[in-house]
Formats: sequence, structure tokens, C-alpha cells
Amino acid sequence: MREQVVCNSTDLKPGEMMKSTFGKQSVLVCRTPDGEYYAFMNQCIHQGAPLDKGMLCGATTESSNPGKYEYCHKGEIIRCPWHGREFDIKNEGRMLANPNKKIPSFKVRVEGEQVIVYK
Amino acid sequence: MQRNQIPLIDTDIHERVQYEDILNKLDEPFKHYIENCHWIQEKHMPYTQPAVAGVDRADAVLPDGRPAGSDLAFMQEQLLDDVGHKAGILTSALDPSPSSMHGWHEMAAALATAYNDWQIENWLEKDERLYGSVHIAAQDRERAIQEIKRAGSHPKMVQVLLPIDDIMWGDPYYHPIFEEAEKQSLMIGMHHNEPPVYYGRWPRYFIEWHSLIPTAHMKQVTNMIFNGVFDKFPTLGLMMIEGGFTFIPHMMWKLDQQFRDLRHEVPWLKRKPSEIMKEQVRFTTQPAEELTKQEFTSLLEQMGTDEMLCFSTDYPHWDFDSPTRALPKMDEQLTRKIFSENAKNFYPKLHAI
Ligand code: FES
Repeated sequence: MREQVVCNSTDLKPGEMMKSTFGKQSVLVCRTPDGEYYAFMNQCIHQGAPLDKGMLCGATTESSNPGKYEYCHKGEIIRCPWHGREFDIKNEGRMLANPNKKIPSFKVRVEGEQVIVYK
Repeated sequence: MQRNQIPLIDTDIHERVQYEDILNKLDEPFKHYIENCHWIQEKHMPYTQPAVAGVDRADAVLPDGRPAGSDLAFMQEQLLDDVGHKAGILTSALDPSPSSMHGWHEMAAALATAYNDWQIENWLEKDERLYGSVHIAAQDRERAIQEIKRAGSHPKMVQVLLPIDDIMWGDPYYHPIFEEAEKQSLMIGMHHNEPPVYYGRWPRYFIEWHSLIPTAHMKQVTNMIFNGVFDKFPTLGLMMIEGGFTFIPHMMWKLDQQFRDLRHEVPWLKRKPSEIMKEQVRFTTQPAEELTKQEFTSLLEQMGTDEMLCFSTDYPHWDFDSPTRALPKMDEQLTRKIFSENAKNFYPKLHAI
């Protein structure tokens, strides 16, 4: 499978995500608040939780200081439904606590109303 | 989930009760206090559990919005059938566990009784794979003993979940409870609970409290060993639930070394502390740290036995451990031990399954 329509562009509002399939694989399609689409493997790299059951949210950032939280990247972080690990959509799906790890991602393009995932 | 090849005995599954579920099992006036006066158990934790759906796996919340763990059919579909459990031991959702109730012992004891009956009727008798834990309000010792006799005599009740309080478990106060548990072929289970581990107060962050839970387990095991509980009750076993296991070698070395130096203070000990642990104490595996195969194997070598660990998922809580992903791959014999035989050998009422 080289490419496939995974959803309609109107299926997702900015800040939402949904599950779809790419061939036999379950994929997670995300739309960030700026309107861009992204797609990842829908399985957490830790113990395999279905990521679509987690949430798209923001994150407290490294720039926080002890006792003072900074919260940003709203709608750009995938948080796993089990152990809560955070993956940064805009940074290739890298884990916030360990950026050497990332969720495998797919390329995405939008043609008219169609959101297409390809390798 | 990838199906498990080895029959699994899961030593920590949380079924969830809501007060309305047990109202018909509560005597008056306790029913009245909940139904009409809106009594709820006081909870002390200052933080939310900072995961996606609070204390639960977000995908274990029921499709109709009811809380995770509150429906047998959904648990069967998502856990027992999916993984292929041979057996699972229910440890509740800690509410209405009386363990954090310091006053009103009558209410605590009434809740425990209602809870035990509800557990038997709705879970143990509805799925042959499920086994249960007797809940007691140990603050009222005589009632607790009666409850162990009453509910603990059920063939599918395998342990007493002893509430954690400000009297350590080796204290003679608990010995009559241990005696009754032993008579009923029940083990004692310790599941971590709300009482904090930080000078009687809560640490500033949840992550600190959660990281230090094993220290609460270490304290109880140490206290029970040096107070002679395991020699006094030689067929009693202790299952330490949800405290992890990587601290076990440290404890064995530390207690043995202390015993060599300071034995004169506890002359009633007939065996080295590490021997007592090997024979009478078991640990559930979750929450497992991520270990390489080599780290895991070396840990077992340091324990000197592969018979102390019993696999657990902690379903449906957020820090659930997957039976196929949480521990490194092991050979078949070791897998059998950790995933089922150790638990089967430990709980007398599971010997025959
Ligand atoms: S399975 Fe996703 S954080 Fe553990």
C-alpha cells in the first residue's frame, strides 16, 4: 500500500484526532490547531496502547521553573491513554521525556477534501 | 492485544463499585446515611492522578460513560477474553475500602460487609476465572475477624486485603486477624493506598508519592518479619501488591546483614529474613520498570529465586502493565512461573485450578 485516503478534511476540526486505517495498519490522524494534518502509527511505542483513546492536548514545557508552570503547544501533543507519555506532533512524534524515541509517522497530503496518507 | 500464549493468573485487577450498587446490601442506618444524607468517604489525596483519564486507562472507561472496571461484560471483552486469562484476583478500586477511614468504624465495617457480598454476587459467581479479596475494617478487630470468617469462607475468596493504617502490621494488634486468615486458608494482601509515605504528610508532587510507594511496602515487610509474624503463623503468606519488585534484593541483603549484627534483639526469628521472604512473601510485578532482559535476569539471580514474582496488570488503571509488553521475553519455564505458577502455589485456594 503506497497511499490511501484516510478521511475527509472536514472529519477533523483543528485540535482533533481520529483513528483510520492505512492498508492493514491502524493510523492516528491528527489535525493541529493551525489546521495542518499529521498521521502516526496508532500504537504507543511503550506498551502498545491505542493512541486514539488518548488525548490531544498541550504540555508543560521545559522552560517551566520549579514551582512555576509554563503550559503551551496546545493541541500539538498526543498523550497516551495508558501511562500518559507525551509525543510532540510538530517534532516528528518525539517523546517529550526522551526525544530519542518517536512514534513512527506517515506522510500526509490534502487534495481537495481528501486527506491522503502515503509512504 | 496480542494473545498471551501462557495461561495467566493476574494478581491485581480492580473492579469498581458505585455506592448505588451496594445500597441494597447495606443495613440501616448506613443505607440512610448514603442515600439521604449523601455521605461520601473522605479522601485525602491532594492531586489528581495526572494521566489522561485520572486513575483509569482512558480506553477502559465504558462506552456509556460509566467508570472503568464497573462492568463485568466490558472487563471480559477488554481484558479476560482478550488476553486469555486463566484466573484473575480482584482487589477493588479502593473505594469504599475502609482503609482511609479513621473514624466511624461502624460505617467502615458495614461498607466492607456490603462490598464483600456485592463482589461475590456480581463478580466471583458470574465468571469462573475471577477470585476475590476480603475487605475488612481492621479498626474494629472483632468485627473484622467475624467478616473474615463470614466472607472469607467463600471458596473463591483468596486473601484478606488488610487496610494500611498507623499501626504497623507486625504489631500484636493484628495477630488475631492473621490467625483467622490462616484458619480460612487466606493470605494477607497489601495494596498501596492513600496513607502517604512522607512523614505522615503528602509530598508536593504526585510523581514523588508514586515513586516512593515501594518504601511503604518495605516498611510493612520489615516490620512483620522482625516482629515474628511469619514464625508465629507459618502457613500465612503475604502478597505485596502494586509496590513493584526491583527493591527486593536490596531488602534481602539489608535485612540479612542487620540480622547477623543485631539478632539478639529479635531472638524469636528462626530463619534469616531472606529465607522468610522466599518462603512466605510474594510480590506482584506491576508497575514494572522498563528492564532489559539482562537486567531482569540479574535481578532474579540476586533474589536467589524465581518464585517470588507474580504477574499483575492492575487493569483498568492508567499504569496498567501489558502481559505481552511489560516484562522482557523469558524462556517458557520462567514465563510459566511468573505468569501463573507462582500465584497458584502461593494461594491455597488456587492450588487446584
Ligand atoms: S503504552 Fe503508551 S505510555 Fe505506556
